[in-house]
Parts: sequence; C-alpha cells; structure tokens
Amino acid sequence: MFATAQYESGDWDSAPFVPANIIDTIARYTEIPVAPIGVVAPLSEERMLRYPLLYLTGHLPVRFNAAEQRNVRRFVERGGLLFVDDHDHDVDGVFHKSATEEIARAAGPLAELPNDHPLYSSFFKFDGPPATSQELNGWGDNLVHTHLLAVQREGRIAVLYSSKDYSSEWNYHPENKRFLAVDNTRFAVNLAVYALTA
Amino acid sequence: MSALAALRRVRLILASGVIVRAIAWGLAAAGTLLIGAVLADIAAPLALGVREALLWIAGASGLCVAFALAVRDRAVLSARDVALWIEEREPALRFRLISAVELGDPRLARDVAPRRWPVLAMRRTGRALATPALIVAVIGALLVLLPAGAVARVRGPRAGDSLERAGVRSSGASRLEPLVALVIAPAYAHAAPRSIDNPATIRALVGSEIVLRGRGAAAGIFARIGNDSVSAASDSADRWSIAARAPVTPAAIELVDRGYEKIITSEPIHDAPPVVTLASPARDTVLRVARGRLSLAATASDDIALESVWFELIVSSGEGETFTFRSAELHKTPVHGKAFDLSGALSLDSLHLKAGDILHVRAAARDANDVSGPGVGYSETRAIRVARPGEYDSVALDAAPPTDEDKSIVSERMLIMLAEALDRQRPTLVHDSLVRESQSIAADQKRLRRTVGDVVFSRLGGSPSGEETVGADSPARARTMQELLARADSATSRAIDPTDFGGGEAPVIAVNTPLLEAYNAMWDAGGALEIGEPGRALPFMRRALAAIERARQAERVYLHGRAPQIVVDVGRARLQGKDKGSSSTRRPLTASDSAAQTRELRFARAMEMLDRARPAAIDSLLLLRIDALSSAPELAAALRDATTALRGDEARAAATALARARRALGGIPVARDSLSRWGVVP
Repeated sequence: MFATAQYESGDWDSAPFVPANIIDTIARYTEIPVAPIGVVAPLSEERMLRYPLLYLTGHLPVRFNAAEQRNVRRFVERGGLLFVDDHDHDVDGVFHKSATEEIARAAGPLAELPNDHPLYSSFFKFDGPPATSQELNGWGDNLVHTHLLAVQREGRIAVLYSSKDYSSEWNYHPENKRFLAVDNTRFAVNLAVYALTA
Repeated sequence: MSALAALRRVRLILASGVIVRAIAWGLAAAGTLLIGAVLADIAAPLALGVREALLWIAGASGLCVAFALAVRDRAVLSARDVALWIEEREPALRFRLISAVELGDPRLARDVAPRRWPVLAMRRTGRALATPALIVAVIGALLVLLPAGAVARVRGPRAGDSLERAGVRSSGASRLEPLVALVIAPAYAHAAPRSIDNPATIRALVGSEIVLRGRGAAAGIFARIGNDSVSAASDSADRWSIAARAPVTPAAIELVDRGYEKIITSEPIHDAPPVVTLASPARDTVLRVARGRLSLAATASDDIALESVWFELIVSSGEGETFTFRSAELHKTPVHGKAFDLSGALSLDSLHLKAGDILHVRAAARDANDVSGPGVGYSETRAIRVARPGEYDSVALDAAPPTDEDKSIVSERMLIMLAEALDRQRPTLVHDSLVRESQSIAADQKRLRRTVGDVVFSRLGGSPSGEETVGADSPARARTMQELLARADSATSRAIDPTDFGGGEAPVIAVNTPLLEAYNAMWDAGGALEIGEPGRALPFMRRALAAIERARQAERVYLHGRAPQIVVDVGRARLQGKDKGSSSTRRPLTASDSAAQTRELRFARAMEMLDRARPAAIDSLLLLRIDALSSAPELAAALRDATTALRGDEARAAATALARARRALGGIPVARDSLSRWGVVP
C-alpha cells in the first residue's frame, strides 16, 4: 500500500496524482506486490503505523497536533520511512520552515544525506538526488539542491526531506509516462525498496 | 531576712534543682539511646530512615523523662510543702513556720533563724544532681571518644553520609564500598546537589555533574563510561572521588578497583520542552471581513524552568501554486518560573488581510535549558481564514431537520440506556414488572425499527413503510438480513454489477447495508425485550447503534474538490519499464522485533547465571536495563527494582520484580520440548 500522510494543517493532498504514479512505477520496475490504489493515512490515527513508507507534501504550514506528533515519533521509532517533499520548492517558504521544525520536534534534527548513501543505489544507481524540472527552470527558491536532508536512526533513514519538489515533478497521470524519454519517477523505486529492505 | 523570704529562696533553689535534674536525666536517656544507635550502626550499617527515626525517638524519650521527673517533683512549687521540708530538717521550729504559711501570718515565725535554710537546700540539690550529672558527663565523654563520623551519622543523618560510617576495613577490601554519588544539576535548574548512598542507578538531568566518592586511597581506581576512562583523584587522606558529566543516553558506569568491579547505571533525565496550550482563539474560524481585535491567550509550563513565552503568526496569501507568507512574533515575554499565562491582543486591521488569506496563530515557549536545549514547545495552530468574495454566493436555504439516521441514533442510544438501567434493576424487580418494563422498551424498539425500515425502502424507490405495511405478524416479513438484502435488491430491480464496490454488491445495497444490519439487530433486540431479557437484548442494540453510526458516516459529504481516483493497472504495468535496476542489493526487513528477542535472550542468560555467579548476573541485568530504558521502559523499571532488591538481599521483592520483568519481556509462555531446570529465585 502506498500511503499519503494526512495532517490537520495545510494542504496535504496537493499532489493527488503522485501516489498513482509511484504505484505504477513500482509495478513497472519491480516485482514488489503493490495495491492498485494508494491510501490516505491520517497521522493522528494509529493505522498510519501500518505502512512502511509515508509520503507527506504540501504548500502550507505544517503544524502537527499532539496526536500527529506522537504517531510520527512512534512511526520512525518502529523503523518507518517518512518521505517529506516541499511542494513549494522554496527553502524560504513556510512549508520548509514549518515542516523542518515539526520534523525536528517529532523525530530529531535533519542533516544532509551523503550522495553515496545506500538510498541512491538501493535499486537504480544515482549520484545523488535526481534534479527536477522545477529546479532547473529556476522556480521556487531558484536553487538546484544537491542533497536531500534526513533524520537517521541507527544507521537507517527515518525521515527523508526533499526541497526538490518531487511532488510537482511526479504529479501527472501514469499513462503520460509514455511521453517521457527518461522516466523521472525512477527515484521513487529506490525510496520504496529502501523502505522495505534492510 | 524574714522567715517567709527565706522560705521563698529555699523554694527557688529546690525548684531549680528539680528542673536541672529532670533535664539531666532527659539528656542521659537521649544520650544513652544515641550511643546505642551509634554502636549498632558501627556493627551493622543502619538505613537513613532508621537513623532518622532513632534520632526522633531519642529526643522524644529525653523529653518524656524530663517531663515525667518535673511532674513527679512538682510539690517543690508549693510553699506549704517547702515549709514542711524545712520543718523536717529543723525540728526546733516546732511548726511555727508551717503555721505562719498556712495562716498567712508572718508574726508567728518572726523569732526563727532562717540563715541555714538555703544552705540545706543547696546541699540537697547538689546531692540530687550528682548522679545524673555524672551520667551525662560519661555519655558526653563517650560521644567525644567515639568516631566523629559515626556519631554524626546518628546525630545528623543525611543522604550521602555512608562514607562517614566507622568500621574496620582490611587493606585488601574493595574501596568501592561504601560509595556515595553526588549529583550536581546544571545551574539553570536551580536544584540543590543531591547525594545517593550506594547507588545502583543514578538518575540525573542531562548536563549534571556526577561525583562518585569512596573511602581509601585513589590510586588504581578508575571508571569506564562508554569508551572513556576516568581515574580517581584523592579528596583527602582517606577519600577518593571521580567526577564525570552525566551521559546523555543511558549508560553503564563501570567502577574498577584492582579485581573489584561495580556497575552503576546512569539514567539521563531529559529536559522536556515546554507544554503550551492555546486557549484563545479556541477554534479555527472563517471571517467575512478581517477587522477588529483578536484576543490571544495561552498557558505554558515546563518541567524545569521557562525562559520566554510568545505568540507566533503566519499569514499565507495566494492559492494554487502561488503563495506568499509573512510571519511575526508577538508579545514575547521573559519568564522566570515553571508556568506562565500569556495573554494579549492582535489587531486584524494592522495585518491588512485580503480575501482568501489565512492567518495561522500559535503560542510558543522556550525553556531555560542552556545545556542540551533550549527546548521549544508549541501549541496547536489555529487558522483564521478570510472568506473569498464568491464564497457566500449560494441559494438561501432553511436549515434542514436532522436526518432520520441522526434521529434514530439518538433514539437507539436512549433505548440502550433504558435497557441498561432495567438490566441493573433486574435483581430488585419482580418478574411481572420486569417483563412489563421490558415490553415497553420493546415497543419503542419496534417503532424505531420501522422508521429505519422506512428509510431503507424509500431509498430503494419503494413506498415508505412498504416493508412493515404487511403487518407485524405477517409471515412475509423479512426475518434475516440476507432476506432484507434480497428484498432490497428486488426492490431496485438492478442487476448486480461485480465491478462496483469490489465486493459484488450493487451500489444501492452497499449504501444501505449498515441500515439493514441495524434493522436486523433491532429485530433480535426486540425479540429479547419482548420476553423480559434486557441483558440479552443489549448486544443487539449496541450492534444496531454501531451500524446506524456507520450509515451516518458513510453519507458524510465533503464539499472540497477531489482529484479523480486513479486505479493503476498493476498487472499491465508490471515489469514494463525500459530500465533495469538491481533488486538484489538489499535484503527484506525482518518482520519480527529482533530487539525484543535479543532482550529476552539476555534476560534468560542472566537468570541462568543468578545461582552460580550472582554479582555477574546482577551486572547483566543492569546492562540489560540500560538498553531497555529507551525502548522498553516497563522492563527497565522492573529490572531496576529487581537489581536493587538483589543487591539488598531481599528475596521476595527480587522474585516479584523479576516476574514483572519476565512479563514485560513478552509475556507469552514458550512451550519447550524439554524440561527446564527447576530453580527458585534466591
């Protein structure tokens, strides 16, 4: 099950096509059993703990309430991977500021993830996080981010934070993937494989 | 000097003597008890509580003795008794003095010579004081001669005085016993230093300094804390100490003196961030026009100390992909203390909010932690949105009455409460009354069931009450949910489309299934109520309530837009990608909790060791506890009690704590194919 995290504040469902696109990508490249539709996992409910990988995005401020904060903490303690992507692609934006703050409160401080981390070779080989067209076109903060940020627990990524706006990059119908020369969602396979393996 | 004046003087001397003697005997009694306690403590160390109790007992017994003697000799205050005492010693007075006192006529004793009377009184007092004074002197001498530390432990018992205890120690004995830990909290906590005697666990605020102290020379003593090693320093001729910063994570402090070892667990106390509650605004709001003042109120509290409290606000403007933000901090207030109520106001006019803007408000507080912090706590965020102009463009509608499901849920809830009350009263009711009351509830239940039936049938396109119009006793009435479902199906005359809803149900059936289930449960409940069995009816009634609740939830309408749901054809997409990755670089995660299994194994090993190598087993349990502190707090607490009890040779307490630890480890008994060794917890 590919799960999208729902939180009380902000627009958690700002990239509605991403789950389907990632599901399609996982099926396209791997034999990992995957459900044909994604699920929405409210962070305030314990059932969010069932999913090994949670995708969280938005443009607006992220303010976890007490239950959300508690569940996120339990989720990372249990070995889950929370993938947070800034749909604003702006390090001066309020999503970035508030989300990084909330992550620090719930899971710990974020640090740069080295570009030779096993995440980048868990399925496809990458030399770091793949760039997005939003970055290359100079939108948002007009930066090409060379690193992702992460909170690591016992050598394992617990929270992965991206300012690269994969939410915009991957937010299209999977059927349209056939028009791309290079599939830009392949990094999602690495995420899923990393979340499911040790 | 007149006879009566001399009498008063004698009385004063005798009274003083009585008081001094009472005090002396009181001191003797208290001192004897103290010396006894000191000697007992030298023989075997007395616990802090016992020594405190003995000190109180000694003081109380001294007071009791003094008071009893003073009361016994209270006759000395009476002039008549003192006169008689003098007459006894001066027979020549021939009762003139007592006559003068009793008749109140000093002329009767005007020719007596009272000069010797005070001397007599002084001599008598001296003799009476000799014995208690001697005893007090002996006790005083003993207290001086006994080791000062040993006396101090009884005279002023306090935590951390075990080093003062006198006792003979051979040169080869461990210098790790006795051991005292002094915990000095960081300055921001404003806490007094705390001493712990012979600690097994030291709980200290992160940033605290831990000073371990013992007796003997410092040479050769060191402590291992993680990868660091700290040597002991000499405090004085016969004292060593090791100072270290309290570890941030649970850790073992391993003290080594030649061949002796002692493990102490260090349990850090982390300064929690402040807890902040936003009281006003109390909820999210939509404003038509952003004008006026918004009152703000919040409470903040911290476990150690607060440093400042403030409000934060963010104004987000825009929509879609284009957002701009402004943020600010308001009413920032420095705080000294553990709790603070912050209030203020925010002028909405000053924010120049436009239609569609959202104002996010929250309160925040920073604690005074300058060691591992500062910790910052935030309240929940309230969003105050300014409505867009078109948002109120809608057709004016009168408020609709509650839906039938909503009405039903209230009624079913009420019927459940009535049935529960009746079931509780059942033992006190006669059978006829019980049946009558039960049938009354059954009648209401039946009416409610018909209402639910009407809802279902009117939705299915049939006439309302179509199901019930055939009469209550009609054989045509549906008796099971399956029959009702079949009727519902036939009522709509729709073919079942297996692609809908994934479960082979037609949409109309899927929508009505909860209500039909409620209907069926109400039917069973009614039957039980009819025969006066409210207890049996309750499970059905609760099932009906839950089903109605589900029906209500299922029809909740959300007015915001939703993206179309894409169902990926996983089968068609499977392995159609042009690129190939390497799927064998990683192995699947193990599903089981391997950490719990490891803990269980370590616990079992320690238990095996307990009989033959008790200190090692205790150390193993302590190390296990360090690992369990963060991941299994219940186990850690049980192990703390177990190790403390094992070190104190308290067999019963140890057995109880170890049983708790075993339960905390997993609880489910494991069946083995061989008999385990019988044994008992020591």
